[in-house]
Amino acid sequence: MKKTIDLVVRHLFLTFLVVIWLIPILWLLVTSFSGYKGINTAHFFPQTWSLANYKALFFEPDSVVQYVAWFKNTLVIAIFTCIISTVFVLMVSYAMSCLRFKGRKELMSFGIILNMFPGVLSMIAVYFVMKSLGLTNSHLGMIIVYSAASGLGYLITKGFMDTISVSLREAAWLEGASEATIFLKIIIPLSKPMVVYTVINAFLVPWGDFVLAKLMLNSGISNDWTIAIGLYNMLNKSLINKYFSIFCAGGVIVSIPISILFVLMQKFYVEGVTGGSVKG
Amino acid sequence: MKNFFKSIGNYFKEFATALAKGDIGVKLSLFVMGAGYFARKQIINGLIMIALEAVFIIACVFYAAPNLAKFGTLGTVQFEQIFDPLTMTKTVNDYDNSFLILLNSIIALFIIVAFILVYIGNIKAVYRLQQRKEAGKHINTFVEDMKAMLNEKFHITLLTLPCIGIILMNVIPILVLIAVAFTNYDQQHMPPNALFTWVGWRNFTQLFTTSTTVTFGYSFGKILVWTLEWALLATFTTFIGGILMAQLINSKRTKLPKMWRTLFMVAIAVPQFVTLMLVRNFFADTGIVNTICSNIGLTSFLKSIGLVGSHLTYIPFLTSPGWAKVMIVLINIWVGIPYQMLIATGVLMNIPVDQLESARIDGANKFQIFCKITMPYILFITGPSLITDFVKNINNFNVIYLLTQDVYVTTDQLLANSNAKEVDLLVTWLFRLTNEYYNYKMASVIGIIVFVICAAFTLLTFTQMIKGNREEDFQ
Amino acid sequence: MKKKVLATLLATSMVAACLAGCGNSGNTGDTSANNSATTDNAASNTTADNAPADNQAADNTAAPDASDPVATLIANTDGTVALKVWASEEDQTLTSNLIEEFKSEYSDVTFDITLGSESESTAKDTILTDVEAAADVFAFADDQINELVQAGALQPVATTYTYDVESENVAGAVEAATVDGTLYAYPMTADNGYFMFYDASVFTEDDVKSLETMIEVADAAGKKVAMCVSDGWYIYSFFQGAGYELTLNDDMSNTCTWNADGATDVAQAIIDLCASDAFVDMTDEQMATAITEGTVVAAVNGTWRAETASDAWGENYAATKLPTFKVAGKDCQMSSYSGYKLIGVNPHADNLGWAMLLAEYLTNEHSQAARFGERGLGPSNLAVGASSAVQEDPAIAALAEQAAFATPQRVGGNYWDPAKTLGNILAQGNPDGTDLQTLLDTAVEGITAPVQ
Repeated sequence: MKKTIDLVVRHLFLTFLVVIWLIPILWLLVTSFSGYKGINTAHFFPQTWSLANYKALFFEPDSVVQYVAWFKNTLVIAIFTCIISTVFVLMVSYAMSCLRFKGRKELMSFGIILNMFPGVLSMIAVYFVMKSLGLTNSHLGMIIVYSAASGLGYLITKGFMDTISVSLREAAWLEGASEATIFLKIIIPLSKPMVVYTVINAFLVPWGDFVLAKLMLNSGISNDWTIAIGLYNMLNKSLINKYFSIFCAGGVIVSIPISILFVLMQKFYVEGVTGGSVKG
Repeated sequence: MKNFFKSIGNYFKEFATALAKGDIGVKLSLFVMGAGYFARKQIINGLIMIALEAVFIIACVFYAAPNLAKFGTLGTVQFEQIFDPLTMTKTVNDYDNSFLILLNSIIALFIIVAFILVYIGNIKAVYRLQQRKEAGKHINTFVEDMKAMLNEKFHITLLTLPCIGIILMNVIPILVLIAVAFTNYDQQHMPPNALFTWVGWRNFTQLFTTSTTVTFGYSFGKILVWTLEWALLATFTTFIGGILMAQLINSKRTKLPKMWRTLFMVAIAVPQFVTLMLVRNFFADTGIVNTICSNIGLTSFLKSIGLVGSHLTYIPFLTSPGWAKVMIVLINIWVGIPYQMLIATGVLMNIPVDQLESARIDGANKFQIFCKITMPYILFITGPSLITDFVKNINNFNVIYLLTQDVYVTTDQLLANSNAKEVDLLVTWLFRLTNEYYNYKMASVIGIIVFVICAAFTLLTFTQMIKGNREEDFQ
Repeated sequence: MKKKVLATLLATSMVAACLAGCGNSGNTGDTSANNSATTDNAASNTTADNAPADNQAADNTAAPDASDPVATLIANTDGTVALKVWASEEDQTLTSNLIEEFKSEYSDVTFDITLGSESESTAKDTILTDVEAAADVFAFADDQINELVQAGALQPVATTYTYDVESENVAGAVEAATVDGTLYAYPMTADNGYFMFYDASVFTEDDVKSLETMIEVADAAGKKVAMCVSDGWYIYSFFQGAGYELTLNDDMSNTCTWNADGATDVAQAIIDLCASDAFVDMTDEQMATAITEGTVVAAVNGTWRAETASDAWGENYAATKLPTFKVAGKDCQMSSYSGYKLIGVNPHADNLGWAMLLAEYLTNEHSQAARFGERGLGPSNLAVGASSAVQEDPAIAALAEQAAFATPQRVGGNYWDPAKTLGNILAQGNPDGTDLQTLLDTAVEGITAPVQ
């Protein structure tokens, strides 16, 4: 009897939590199918339903909504960012974890300290550095901005590599493998969860960043933008009343690739976050 | 610290010995960098070094020197433009841009320091070659040198590109802004139209003074306190919430754990900025939540118990200081718990079962097991990430900015006089100072302080990690 | 005098071009004809009369007369002229049409004009971050002019080539585009101020004369009157209306008398107004929703909300000047800011001459008429303003009525945050119970703080 009550209470409580967690998401979803363009503040569910917002998103680009172009831009930037970032992170992690050289610890401390500096502040200087290289308003510039300093995020991957048994490397040494071969043939395959973790994290950066992107892509020409700037712009004071439900539709669409990625990589992700301390 | 100076001492000592004991090739390297290599028949190495030296000299003359010459004043020639109405063309004078001078000088200093290191390293390297030659040892060919880059010098191959990236996108911008904290770069002194110059410690004193018109000191204190409160609250609520939720879902008595987990995951699949801006409108003063609350009578109930001001017809979720702070923390819990749950799930699945069993046999109840075994284990694994989370929360720009920008109006006049709000973190404050008021000098000062706080906190707790005590234990 | 000389020069160059008389395209002729036709001057009128007949004769291949800048510019332009233009999101279609017209006007020149979007109200924020990267021609609201001039983001309008800005626009607009006696921008619209929208089925014309009456009526009808009290731009209305001053000093700081004797009565009046359930403090975008939903039946807002209001209220849509409000028992007329939207030229533009010509084109009579026709924006051009269509527009008529009580917007950057907070405190009924005089004193300290 006590067990049944426990079971019921437990599941009721979970249902309650799920409801809390999903209400805003539900609102996003239903508003995206609303026939009304602005924010409907009187009713949770729209009074008229329509697919017009999705149609506007994909087939009726205007100066405010260039969703397809944004999606393409963001995807390209994200793909290159995640390739470069992953390579950088693995390179730095391997050097810091498996190699022994002069100044290694100093470099590591220095890296940690650098991470403490608030990024929003140095943005303006990053902008001028990129401007003097002629890379503002270009997607190449965005890729560089997102990935160049990614080596600093080595800490977790390094933690993981620390746990890889040193005997593996020694065995390879004895067989005459170079450090490069060990890195490519032994350590990277073993670090699969970390690679996945880094890939996901790096891939997500361009989808979520609007501050830096807004500063760098400042020509005002909307089909150069990334999704984040575009969606952010839709909620501008003068636009929100016409574009709120389109914003919701855009939010729903952008979640699709990200959720697929998440579901596929869930297991690795957990291993990644915990720095490989968990091996299941 | 002692070791540090010792190693610097050794560094120069080696250089001196190399010079003193070096043969003509080594000594010639002082002037022509490739000379030492030529002496050992390493032609390609020698050519590379000569090319490097040449590039450096050119860079010095055409780039570093003109910029560094103006570094002391940050430029003196004001921008002037003359427009000829008849030809409709303009002529612009050769003006100084203070910001570019600053930026280029710092890059130039970097190049010079890097070159000096290479220069000294070069002398030592050729001296080592000389020693090898004298000892009759084998001297590497160029191909062998290249191979070494994949072996004993593999770290150089690995680290060069990432380091250049970090220096360019991270170190140099940070140095530039540290320098800006000592200038009067603000809206009245904005390049290219105006010049700015050095002012010493003035901005720092300004941050700590409060007069009737300058309220930076007052605002700084208030915002600092809230920043720390927020970082603590945000870190621990999501951390503990995540563990509890993971416990709840992973318990054997919960049916369909996978389904529950996936449902919570839906909330984080939507990018954070979308959910945050959505939630801002969700809880707006005239938003849907307020409509529902007033329909079900919650608004008037809260009014009657005094939680909502009597003059209001809505619940000021994100517009009054008290409510907004609570809501921000709650919304952050909403955003953060699914992540933490995911991590905690991973950790919980790997708790050493034998420990749990033996505790159970010893007669410990669930609560005791949780406190004595589960929590310490989780803390052991995720402890370091807890510290990084805390630092991340101090710099948590997105949550605060997206939830309060354009919505929250401060009611504290002294804060308003220095463009701050009660709900601002130091980072959002400095962002608005730069983005809306172009007060780069004060923003830089605040940035430095944030840095010092974070660094001090981390160094206190992190030293264990940096020392790397653990790294070899597991290998 | 300068303009007369210029017009004469233009005329002469026209004649010269006509005499040269080798005809193919006739574009220069068109331009000059346009120029002169709009310069409203005896000398140019003659040319204008000649122009149509000789249209074919005019030619840009003729040796350009050094005294005709436009012809010289065309002759000296080779290659593509790249220009970057910023207009607000709402103006995109219209602006791109006007740009096409501009291109065909000067069809001898190859243009590469890109149009970006940047809201007029936030143009300053983007421009000041990096003036050199900003658009060559951009639209902005007149309150930003001081900061833009100071940052060197505006090219002085030393001469005009196709029409005379000062004589063809309303005086207020020209004044708004002028800083220290120098004209820095081209007026585009004259409607960036605020007034009262109302639903005529709820209020009579007498009701809307006093804010107190309006609140009573709205209360009786169970509806609301909305105004954005917690905002520096609107809160000004009360204090200025009651006779307290806010002016800009030369160093960009403000002089403000809002804490003078009796000003506490104004503060009290605002608190009293906001204490009423029928008077609500709302932001602009919330107002739009509330008007559509029918909860708000009167709102202090500007022409940009005309569409929302007329859609919601249909034939009962009406607009008028701001009402009076009671300060210590006395009726005071609410004041307002008269706002203008201007087009500026970036001095860092590579093709400065063309940028100026484009700015002139986007603000000339034809473009302003098009802007009114398509967007319903009130023109600053006198001729367009005099047209019956403009005169009959209720929102613009209300703005004209309010004009007598409006002042140009001249405030330094230190005004906004303290004023917004003051408005917010008053709108919330001074929840901490701070002494009103202290409240005003602190606000004024912030507003008048030295700029450093």
